[in-house]
Amino acid sequence: MNFNDLLKNDFILLDGATGTMLQKSGLRLGEIPETLNITRPEVVRSIHRAYIAEGTQIVTTNTFGANRYKMKDSGYSVEELVSAAVRNARAEAEGKALVALEIGPVGQLMEPSGSMSFEQAYDYFKEQILAGKDADLIFFETFTDLLELKAGVLAAKENSGKPIVASMTFEKNGRTFAGVSVASAALTLEGLGVDALGVNCSLGPRELSPIVREFTRWTALPVFVKPNAGLPDPNSNTYNVLPDEFADCMSEIIDFGSVKLVGGCCGTTPDYIRALKRVIDKKAFRRAELRRETSVCSATTAVELSEPRVIGERINPTGKKRFKEALLNNDIDYILAQAISQVNAGADILDVNVGLPQIDEREMMVRVIKALQSVVDVPLQIDSTKPEVLEAALRIYNGRPIVNSVNGEEKSLSAVLPLVKKYGASVIGLTLDENGIPKTADGRFEIAKKIVDRAKQIGIDPKDVYIDCLTLTVSAEQEGCAETLSALSRVTKELGCKTCLGVSNISFGLPNRELVNHIFLTMALHSGLTLPIINPNDDAMMGALRAYKVLANIDKNSVNYIEKYNDSEKEKPKVISSRLTLDQAITGGLKGEAEALTERMLQNTDAMEIVNSVLIPALDRVGADFEKGRLFLPQLIQSANTAQVCFEVIKKNLAKTDSAPVSKGKIILATVKGDIHDIGKNIVKVLLDNYGYTVVDLGRDVEPQLIVDTALEQNIRLIGLSALMTTTLGSMEDTIALVRKTEGLENCEIMVGGAVLTADYAEKIGADYYCRDAKESVDTAKRVFG
Amino acid sequence: MVEIKINREEALRYLGGSGLEPDEKMLSLLDSCEKELLGAASPMFLYKRIDINESGLILGEDVGNHLEGCKLAYVMCATLGSAVDKIIRAAQVSDMARAVVLDSTASAAIESLCDEVEAQISRENECSFLTWRFSPGYGDYPLSLQEKFLALLDAPRKIGLCSSDSFLLTPAKSVTAILGVSEKPLEKKRRGCAVCALSKTCKFRKAGTRCEF
Repeated sequence: MNFNDLLKNDFILLDGATGTMLQKSGLRLGEIPETLNITRPEVVRSIHRAYIAEGTQIVTTNTFGANRYKMKDSGYSVEELVSAAVRNARAEAEGKALVALEIGPVGQLMEPSGSMSFEQAYDYFKEQILAGKDADLIFFETFTDLLELKAGVLAAKENSGKPIVASMTFEKNGRTFAGVSVASAALTLEGLGVDALGVNCSLGPRELSPIVREFTRWTALPVFVKPNAGLPDPNSNTYNVLPDEFADCMSEIIDFGSVKLVGGCCGTTPDYIRALKRVIDKKAFRRAELRRETSVCSATTAVELSEPRVIGERINPTGKKRFKEALLNNDIDYILAQAISQVNAGADILDVNVGLPQIDEREMMVRVIKALQSVVDVPLQIDSTKPEVLEAALRIYNGRPIVNSVNGEEKSLSAVLPLVKKYGASVIGLTLDENGIPKTADGRFEIAKKIVDRAKQIGIDPKDVYIDCLTLTVSAEQEGCAETLSALSRVTKELGCKTCLGVSNISFGLPNRELVNHIFLTMALHSGLTLPIINPNDDAMMGALRAYKVLANIDKNSVNYIEKYNDSEKEKPKVISSRLTLDQAITGGLKGEAEALTERMLQNTDAMEIVNSVLIPALDRVGADFEKGRLFLPQLIQSANTAQVCFEVIKKNLAKTDSAPVSKGKIILATVKGDIHDIGKNIVKVLLDNYGYTVVDLGRDVEPQLIVDTALEQNIRLIGLSALMTTTLGSMEDTIALVRKTEGLENCEIMVGGAVLTADYAEKIGADYYCRDAKESVDTAKRVFG
Repeated sequence: MVEIKINREEALRYLGGSGLEPDEKMLSLLDSCEKELLGAASPMFLYKRIDINESGLILGEDVGNHLEGCKLAYVMCATLGSAVDKIIRAAQVSDMARAVVLDSTASAAIESLCDEVEAQISRENECSFLTWRFSPGYGDYPLSLQEKFLALLDAPRKIGLCSSDSFLLTPAKSVTAILGVSEKPLEKKRRGCAVCALSKTCKFRKAGTRCEF
């Protein structure tokens, strides 16, 4: 008997709680439950035996927390604990039930909330999976972070051929602690190729019922359900739902359809399993109706392609000088700001392209995807021509992304589609091949069909291929526009695929491009376009799309349209009071006014004169006011940011007149290894930026070696280190020691700051300067660079 | 889920400007940050009554002094959830002034959540007296006990509160603490700057004021 045989049954009866049963058998406070596999195997075996006696068809091993992190003080290795647990289960189950290797979360939060990396999580799981090689299948249960669960599923797929069941734990609001939605969990896990998925723990069957119902809407796989025996009483730790009530509720849940694997979590005992068996013995399995369109998601947000959705195109260095600079200088914050502004403008999905010949695209892509997912909720589209870049990003992406792209060339089909399949993504199919872009709609349709057929052959649902019929420049090939639209329309109707299109190329070389672009967008939408790839900060384009959604009866009762435009006529144009000075604008944090005033002053004042006689003195005064407690910190920052806007205006002006841009010196900033609280460092960065220093921000949790390497590479004279906790002051000391003994950094000075630091301690660990606050870091920079 | 209140004066204290009246612009920033924070927060907490001697939580002198005369204690933890970390991160990229206000507002919110938990414990122990909350990192009480606190409360599983390798609580806006239960009234003198680990570097003291610890 194997798992696939069991799946042919109407239902599969699982077991109930292990922890509850161990407590009943006298688990002592602080005793690690997994050690009982070795110290008291008879207790563990008796639990398996009791469940099997009630008809349990798959028993779970007593290995929920048997990972290297949680077992570090247990006195046993993971291998010892897991293999003993599997032996205990096997001894009772032989010939009667299958044995599932139970794997729970590691017990630490992953980046960005915590410090555990994807690779670390993967290694913990891999060790458990190898140790459990004698189990029949693998159960991942009680996960709250989708990315951690993805690490587990990949570790299982890559290190064993066993079937995988993946279950997450949701709260009453329909989300896990990490904010994961049911739709995102279902889409992502099904994409990764698990055999069944579902939900366990945290709530009783009644509270879980709406969550299970939502699951059945989002997945075609068998659904797994293991509720608690109701809610626990915090003092007695007993649960409030008795076996018969539990079984009645489960009966209702099973009637949603698709629910096939049923059992119990905390508080449930063999009595609950017996009651549950009575229920399933009387029922027949049926599949719930799947009511979703092809969808992509982040961990928190699913985007169903049931109507046109905007893909933001701005994260791409092509033709953007400032963006290229950001990539070369590792200025991830610039990229994140681009992302946030596109999301605020209404982007549903963001395209991410960081290809630049001078950088390691693979490493940069991984960094940018992680950083983006730590601040925005929208799904991402991974855009690269290199399969190795795509794969690295697909591994660590949290959710179900779009891959941009595959095309009709054999080389592309055979390299990209298997990745799309393995990681369960959607993919953009470009209608071009070895011979270039076909001139006719028929030619492009044929390539689309070839891509879809190949996708189908390796098990990708054709619905998850989004075809790009390619926009050609209308000023060069005027007949091309009709071919693009005709191909788009055929792909939609005949292949049933969604389509995407980069829109703005259409107008290249023409005046008033905006006009051509938004008319073309409207035509394409009318021909069936679902995914326009555009700049969402372009009001005309977004306006065309919003109007289209009204006219196409998508935006019901024009709700979104009215919400967007109802107030727009009331917006007043900016008037600058004639009496406002630049100095006052900076002090008051009035960005728009300061920008206009700087421009006005530049007409009759030298740029550096403005910097030295207005901007810097204004900043100094604001800084002094803050020190004296006459200003709140956010007011200081607002003034600094306003000065920054003025500096930008001046830089542009200097660039026009060919004067060299002014940087007063380059400074490394880093929060030391082990420390993940970086708000203090970021405040320092804002101020230094605004005083005209160039900041190389290495981020948080930074290895000493990276700081030293960067300092050597970029010939740095000042390093700023931040630490927030007493436990990470050691890393600060180590970093300073490493800088001191590195040849070539003799002239490099170090300033330090952070809540727990004192001037004495800073001196003791060998720092050159102690900065009490962000303002003092500017004073220090002035001393160092003169 | 509990409701949280935000003590605006406390949030302002974290933002410097001691005793300063916020102007209109500052007030509207505070309003909007409080609203965003309340939308993102999922306040959760756990507590448990323990026997101090069996707990394995007594390390160093300071906690021993703090719990003097108590046999029983409560361990507690509370968090605002990981979505709060996310909005603060996002604001740091797009608007740092907003980020520092969100951060201070969140710090004030986790404090008032802890006050609420303490009040609840207090109601359950009407005949006894409670010490104030003592947390790993106070005095010589080691931060490395975070893992033990969390394990005792089953916090990673029950409310998603974990500790990193360097014993930082994650999500960031979280607290663990121990409160002693005494049958006799407790001396009130123990709280204040003298026992605070941050007294040497405290920005309030430098500015000539105090926090309300």
